[in-house]
Amino acid sequence: MAEIALRKVAKTYFSATPVRALESVDLDIAEGEFVALLGPSGCGKSTLLNILAGFEGSSEGSALIDGGAIGRPGPDRGVVFQEAALFPWLTVWENVVFGPKMQGLPKSEYEGRARELLATVGLKDFAQSYPAQLSGGMRQRVGIARVLVMQPRALLMDEPFGALDAQTRMAMQELLLTVWEKLNTTVVFVTHDIDEAILLADRVFVMTARPARIGREIAITLPRPRSIDDLTSPEFTRYKAEIMAEMRSAHHQAETA
Amino acid sequence: MTDTSVKEAGSRPAGMAAPGSRALGSALPRILMNSGLAQILIALVLPVAIVTIWQLAGTNGSLFGGVLPTPDRVVSAWWTWAFGAKGMGLNPYSGTWLANVIFSTERVAEGFLVAILVGVPAGIWIGWSRLGAQILDPTVQMLRPIPITAWLPFSLAVFGISGFSAIFLIALGAFYPIVINTTQGARHVERNLVRAALMMGAGRLDILRRVVLPAALPAIFTGLRIGLGIGWTAVIVSEMIAVKSGLGYVLWDAYYVGRMDVVIADMVSIGVMGLLSDQLILLAERWALSWRLAGAR
Repeated sequence: MAEIALRKVAKTYFSATPVRALESVDLDIAEGEFVALLGPSGCGKSTLLNILAGFEGSSEGSALIDGGAIGRPGPDRGVVFQEAALFPWLTVWENVVFGPKMQGLPKSEYEGRARELLATVGLKDFAQSYPAQLSGGMRQRVGIARVLVMQPRALLMDEPFGALDAQTRMAMQELLLTVWEKLNTTVVFVTHDIDEAILLADRVFVMTARPARIGREIAITLPRPRSIDDLTSPEFTRYKAEIMAEMRSAHHQAETA
Repeated sequence: MTDTSVKEAGSRPAGMAAPGSRALGSALPRILMNSGLAQILIALVLPVAIVTIWQLAGTNGSLFGGVLPTPDRVVSAWWTWAFGAKGMGLNPYSGTWLANVIFSTERVAEGFLVAILVGVPAGIWIGWSRLGAQILDPTVQMLRPIPITAWLPFSLAVFGISGFSAIFLIALGAFYPIVINTTQGARHVERNLVRAALMMGAGRLDILRRVVLPAALPAIFTGLRIGLGIGWTAVIVSEMIAVKSGLGYVLWDAYYVGRMDVVIADMVSIGVMGLLSDQLILLAERWALSWRLAGAR
């Protein structure tokens, strides 16, 4: 579990014409908190996540985890990618134990945990299958299991359910809620789906586009444990209306800027 | 995965030949056309026709006024070459076939192995590291237009009349397609796979061995198949000139003494060996890339 802090983080890509992707982002995430970054596609929210993961550096400002500067990518920050990004040449089992193996942990330390996690995500019987034999939802469950097996301090999720059909997506959201309520890991969840953000997060940050900055923060006080039944509750609808209004005005600002 | 089309075109199974045969209308002929046995029979029509016409065109075992032997003469020449008594070196075309096949195959195998051992790491380096590309790629690209045949005198001067001369040319010829395809494969590794590995704590060497190499493997196999084909070309060329044994040596020697029946038997032998070795690579590919076929069902 980790505390994450961003101080005036900005990012410029220096191509033929420099592109300002992020502008002065300040963000404090408490230990064990579930935070959603909500914004239109291509608004720079993935850039923010890549900086947290250590895949990219920031051009300005500082990104801290537990008070220390974020460095190279590492198993303390587990990343779940949009298309799962499993190694297609490894079986489900080999994918899940890849992390602990790379860290040189003894088998006795992770094999039991890996088996348990595979059962949790409902893939016990698919341990010897290859990713190509799985559906998109199953692949993403492997993607989650292989990260959780490393017991990361923070989970960074980049539109992990964006490519799934509506039904699978809901099942995955419930699965994530169940798992998270058990582990209480800090989660940064990037999405463009308003329902998803409200259902999962403690706080939703609505991002504006080009360059991305954090427009508004909305605390979601829906009681936990939550389930997809909450999607139709009046409080949920209220949050949704608030966020939609916020996104519309953010879009308007971007258009007129 | 840029090579998908190449690979799938090469290994298209019998069941996928359907589009053309759909024109035949009813389902029954289509099923017959697609069965394994039917495929083989259809494939044999043209070669059998050619051999038959060739045989019928000859008189007294030869055609074109004795320039070419008929197929039956070729077969009997091959029979003697393969199973005849070794005439204490008096008849080089009796009982020496296997020995020569082994000479050539060994050279191809050795040269090919050198090409793999040099070409795959070099390709991974060029494709993966900018420094590697800057150091190696220009030299490779400058040397590549020189055909291996042009290297023959150089090879003779350096290695003399010996097997090394052949092995050098084979290794050089097979090296180019292997290094170029490996480069392509290593260059196009999905970025998120590398990021995932980094996130899970993989070091530089782990990334090369466990991500870049397997990701490049389909492209590498494409390079291996092309490289092996060039390897067989190189062994024949160099044995014709630089070595005194092997199928290439016999080919040229038999031509000099007017034994066209042996020449043709030799050509067929080279073709068969090339085909067999290609099948061997395909087999290895199917084994190494089983994870790709797993999804195809």
